[in-house]
Amino acid sequence: MGVTPIRPGQLAGVPLGRRAATPIIEIDHVSQVFKTSSRRDHIALSDISLTVGEGAFVSILGPSGCGKSTLLYIVGGFVSPTSGIAKMKGKPITGPGTDRGPVFQEFALFPWKSVLGNVMYGPLQQGMKASKAEALARTLLAMVGLTGFEKFYPKELSGGMKQRVALARTLAYGPEVLLMDEPFGALDAHTRTRLQNDLLDIWERDRKTVLFVTHSVEEAVFLSDKVVMMSRSPGRIREVIDIDLPRPRRREELLLDPNYQRYIVEIERMFDASGDNELPS
Amino acid sequence: MNGMLKPLAPVLACCGLLLAWQLASLGLKNDSFPTALESLRAIPPILTDKESLINILASLRRMAVGFSLALAFSIPLGLLMGRSRATAAFFNPLLMLIYPVPKAALMPIIMLWLGVGDVSKTLVIFLGVSLPVIYHSFEGAKAVEEKMLWSGAAMGLSPSERLLRIVLPAALPEILTGCRTGLVLALITMVTSEMIARQSGAGNILFNALDMGQYDTVFAMIIIVGAMGICLDAAFEIVRRWLVRWSEPQFDMPLSFS
Ligand SMILES: Nc1ncnc2c1ncn2[C@@H]1O[C@H](COP(=O)(O)OP(=O)(O)O)[C@@H](O)[C@H]1O
Ligand SMILES: [Mg+2]
Repeated sequence: MGVTPIRPGQLAGVPLGRRAATPIIEIDHVSQVFKTSSRRDHIALSDISLTVGEGAFVSILGPSGCGKSTLLYIVGGFVSPTSGIAKMKGKPITGPGTDRGPVFQEFALFPWKSVLGNVMYGPLQQGMKASKAEALARTLLAMVGLTGFEKFYPKELSGGMKQRVALARTLAYGPEVLLMDEPFGALDAHTRTRLQNDLLDIWERDRKTVLFVTHSVEEAVFLSDKVVMMSRSPGRIREVIDIDLPRPRRREELLLDPNYQRYIVEIERMFDASGDNELPS
Repeated sequence: MNGMLKPLAPVLACCGLLLAWQLASLGLKNDSFPTALESLRAIPPILTDKESLINILASLRRMAVGFSLALAFSIPLGLLMGRSRATAAFFNPLLMLIYPVPKAALMPIIMLWLGVGDVSKTLVIFLGVSLPVIYHSFEGAKAVEEKMLWSGAAMGLSPSERLLRIVLPAALPEILTGCRTGLVLALITMVTSEMIARQSGAGNILFNALDMGQYDTVFAMIIIVGAMGICLDAAFEIVRRWLVRWSEPQFDMPLSFS
């Protein structure tokens, strides 16, 4: 088995491997400056340009504080950039929309709704009939492994289960793009691994576009077609790396794959070289 | 506390209080301080007298109206203030001004303008209840997790839908804490308003009896009003617990009579 060297310097916008995907998200010279109490304003994002192809799984990887969340919020339409423009399917993003579904590290479930109620919320909002919405919610809950927990309130669930509900809730209203902000960051290692596997299984079924923020190199390499490496102060894209690993990916196989190991080592080396060594391995 | 003892504790406390009262009153032998037994014996005549019942029911009606109007006004206002800086900036100075004024102290002016009838008394109750409810609704709305609102926005909820369907339920535990304080304040302002504008009501019976030196009736009325307060609070607490059964235990009331 030949070891393919990775090709750093492959820039954003270059079509992904064999799949010449149409762009679904275009981020064009986006900068974000936050006013601070001190004299100098804080530049959270500086001149970010990135294109995400339809159906791609793209990770944004970088040390904490480099603006990963801010970038995701801009794509979500929750925050508007100081300058530059973000587009979804060619249309400028001016606010949140059902075409982009966020999944937050904090879960952000509706605590007054049962698990089923949370997942049904979006479909009902879109005018789906209650019986149909319930059937859909039950299917999705089965898919994330939560059959039997429909009547539970969020407070009765563990962190991993809450995140499964949050994922099902977002999938339920059928967004074209999933925006995941360190969704597994608050979970223990074992739970995180299981959720990564399950997320890939779900993604394999319909290949929704995923923009996935993480600060774990392994997580980014394991999940992604493309890893966007960011550095901080100011937040910039320093490298975009295509991850040429076979799919569907199985963790047991990947761990034995020298290419997988090589990607991880190379990415860590690049972060070390830049002095951004706060990145946990 | 011991599981067997817990439900008995309030009963024991009441018995202890009555016993201390009885002994103190027997010891002091003062006309204006009837014994506990005499006061308790004065309760049934009040509760069987048609006139008194009409008065007490009138009090309760004013209290219910004042309390309901206050909630209908204060919860939306508090929620809006919690989510909109401009609204908060506009109403805050006004509320800061009203906050330290004892609402009953406004009674003479209100009576001057609106007379001694139901309107004045209901208005005072309304004012008394409003402030804690506005304050707690404001705090509750301010504390709503932004990501929850973003999740709603991504599902297509408009700003007003988010206020009604996310901010309101998310802030409900805090709002109900304010309502519980408001309920007790409603009882207090109800009695005080009737003390000032003597015309009808439970407070009126009490102060009339005081004027006529019927001290057992005075104490009986204090017991009746107190019992009303405890029952209303306990009933409200049952409703509150049911409404927020989904919430994390940190929202539980530190103080509870049940
Ligand atoms: N609303 C805000 N106001 C001021 N500064 C902010 C705000 N949001 C983020 N920042 C700052 O911008 C930088 C990037 O934040 P963030 O996007 O959360 O980074 P990351 O998700 O990579 O950890 C951080 O230094 C953070 O303190
Ligand atoms: Mg972040």
